Amino acid sequence: MVTLPSTSRELSRREFIGTTAAAGAGLLLTSCSPDAAPKTAAAKSSPLNKINIALIGCGAQGQVLLDSLTVIDGLNLVAIVDIWEYKRNENVRRLKSQGFDVKGYENYEDLLANEKDLQAVVVASPDFWHAPITNACLKAGLHVYCEKMMSNTLDGARSMVQTMRETGKLLQIGHQRRSNPRYIFALNRLVREAKICGRITAAHAQWNRTVTNDLSWPKKSEIAPAQLAKYGFKDMHQFRNWRWFKGLGGGPLSDLGAHQIDIFNWWFGSTAKSVMASGGVDYYTTHDWYDNAMVVYEFATPEGTARAFYQVQTTTSSGGGYFEMFMGDEGTIKMSESPNTTKLWREDRSTKAWEELVGKNYLRASAVAKPAGDADKVDVRETAPLLEYEIPVSFNKKIHQPHLENFFNAIRDKNVKLNCPADEAFRSEYIIHKANEAIIAQKTIPITKEEVEA
Amino acid sequence: MSEIHVFKQRAMATEFEVRIADEEKTYAASAAQAAFTLTDELENKLSRFRANSEISEIAQLAVGEKLRLTEPVFACLTLAKKMEVATRGAFSITAVARQTQSIKPLWSLDNFHICGDAGKLEFDLGAIGKGFALDRMAEVLREWSCEKFLLIAGGSSILAGEIPAGTAGWSCGLGEDNSPQRFWLKNGSLSGSGLAVKGKHIFDPRTGEPAKRQNRAWALCDTAAESDALSTACMVLDEAEITKAIADESRWLVILEEAGALRFIGTRALPNFA
Repeated sequence: MVTLPSTSRELSRREFIGTTAAAGAGLLLTSCSPDAAPKTAAAKSSPLNKINIALIGCGAQGQVLLDSLTVIDGLNLVAIVDIWEYKRNENVRRLKSQGFDVKGYENYEDLLANEKDLQAVVVASPDFWHAPITNACLKAGLHVYCEKMMSNTLDGARSMVQTMRETGKLLQIGHQRRSNPRYIFALNRLVREAKICGRITAAHAQWNRTVTNDLSWPKKSEIAPAQLAKYGFKDMHQFRNWRWFKGLGGGPLSDLGAHQIDIFNWWFGSTAKSVMASGGVDYYTTHDWYDNAMVVYEFATPEGTARAFYQVQTTTSSGGGYFEMFMGDEGTIKMSESPNTTKLWREDRSTKAWEELVGKNYLRASAVAKPAGDADKVDVRETAPLLEYEIPVSFNKKIHQPHLENFFNAIRDKNVKLNCPADEAFRSEYIIHKANEAIIAQKTIPITKEEVEA
Repeated sequence: MSEIHVFKQRAMATEFEVRIADEEKTYAASAAQAAFTLTDELENKLSRFRANSEISEIAQLAVGEKLRLTEPVFACLTLAKKMEVATRGAFSITAVARQTQSIKPLWSLDNFHICGDAGKLEFDLGAIGKGFALDRMAEVLREWSCEKFLLIAGGSSILAGEIPAGTAGWSCGLGEDNSPQRFWLKNGSLSGSGLAVKGKHIFDPRTGEPAKRQNRAWALCDTAAESDALSTACMVLDEAEITKAIADESRWLVILEEAGALRFIGTRALPNFA
């Protein structure tokens, strides 16, 4: 359920309607009328009310998506795909026990050959399989939701955009924050309309995690070497830890940074014009990709230059967790998928009256702000608590659910736009690949407006 | 002497421990990591303190509204409902909600959906969630062929699998560290509840009042979800009520501490004391 402030009737329908399923959005539908209600009715009478879908890839991210796919109304999960028999059978068994008449396939070719009534697939395979799978599914007439990164190569990502255009099918990329009601509200109402940050001069995002052992596997479930080779893996260790290997994934900068560097692009409303970076395989001995990386992008905004720093450290969890922070001359907003990490700060020099925003329900305050009194008088009492502000939008669905719902709503209703279509995602994809390049080059790499377009 | 590998991780506001016997250490560490990962996933779904958990989502349901649940949440709530019925309401995941709500929240489960029937469904799975997590962790370890394990959640619930070679079982004490009252546990779960560590933190779901029947109670069951919930219920039940509550459950045994002596209630065979 999404809870919006009472003034949400003033908000544009598109801010929220694409992000939420009709069911479970009672406040949303009430506040976004009149155009939301007819859409709900149309969806119920649509022949596509039940969308036949398949999940391709049942690894860690596939499981996260499956949690949402099994609870979103109007979906008919007909198949899952995974080359690992252990995961495939486990998921088929578990889904059948939940009442899903689901089949398991080893690969997407078998899926496409046997399931002729599919309307959409959700792709959560290793990155290097994204482009071949997505392109084949689009060409087979299916709409595709594909996890980020789009591909382990820019050519692969570009081919996905081209296929999307050629087939006219939908291709949503899994930058789920783009459908998060809290992010949408904060960007549109607080940053762009109320301009609480003033002129944004800098951004800082990070995702730091502790040292972890490489993933292993139950010894009775090992895949035969020939089978692994058939699907591009050297051995079981590489199969289980593909994110760390060149040619398969893009390392932490793309696994974790992709989400947050995409927020830079989205919130600045442009793409970086240069990138410099430092990183390396400093710690682990069994990986190809950099375990620690620091990146600086330069953005040209209408108000002037802004720089964005991104760090991903995978050797400590004590560096403040994960967030995206936009810092301006009048205020700072620190966003995170975790509401507890989200913070707002007002500079004393701010010209914006935040109490007025509280009155409009754009902000929630911890206490009523006191009006300025006479400068020559003062009353003395207990220490007053510091006035704190927070975003008044609560959101307690699964984190990926609104983005998936946006995808399925767009399939049902052509008036619903994808929140992260592949051509938009490509601009972020591009500057993330360039960050890895900058680490190798050890110099600033300029980025033109033209080259970020697929 | 059997070699036992010990792994720890914080989750669900306590410390979880995985002990694996007679297995190569690196492999045991990987198996434990897989079990801990599952615990994290369960906490994301079951914690009332996480805004995007299913328990938080359930708390927003209006009366008459339905919500489709994921399999683990449905399974955990099904067990919670079973334990509430079995204990005649002495265990309930709405015990904390009764502190703020005048009417008892009512809910029903059907075909992986939950429906709010009355009140606000503010669930607190603190007295069954950790046990449930141990049961699911055990499934992971068995998938990894690590059959000889002992799982511990916060020192209050344990779940034993097969036993280390050359032993009579996992040595379990009742009460303080190195308690002299010990028995051997194998393929079963023991949970303890009491007022010694956290004070009066257990409330009688039927009255909303703090627990006052027992100072300490233990429950021995096949699963940790059952023992976790049952030991909590026993804190608010008197001996006659406990006897009645577990009369139909041949696999449950309740142990009460009374003036320094132990009293056993139930038809399950007593464990082998060390």
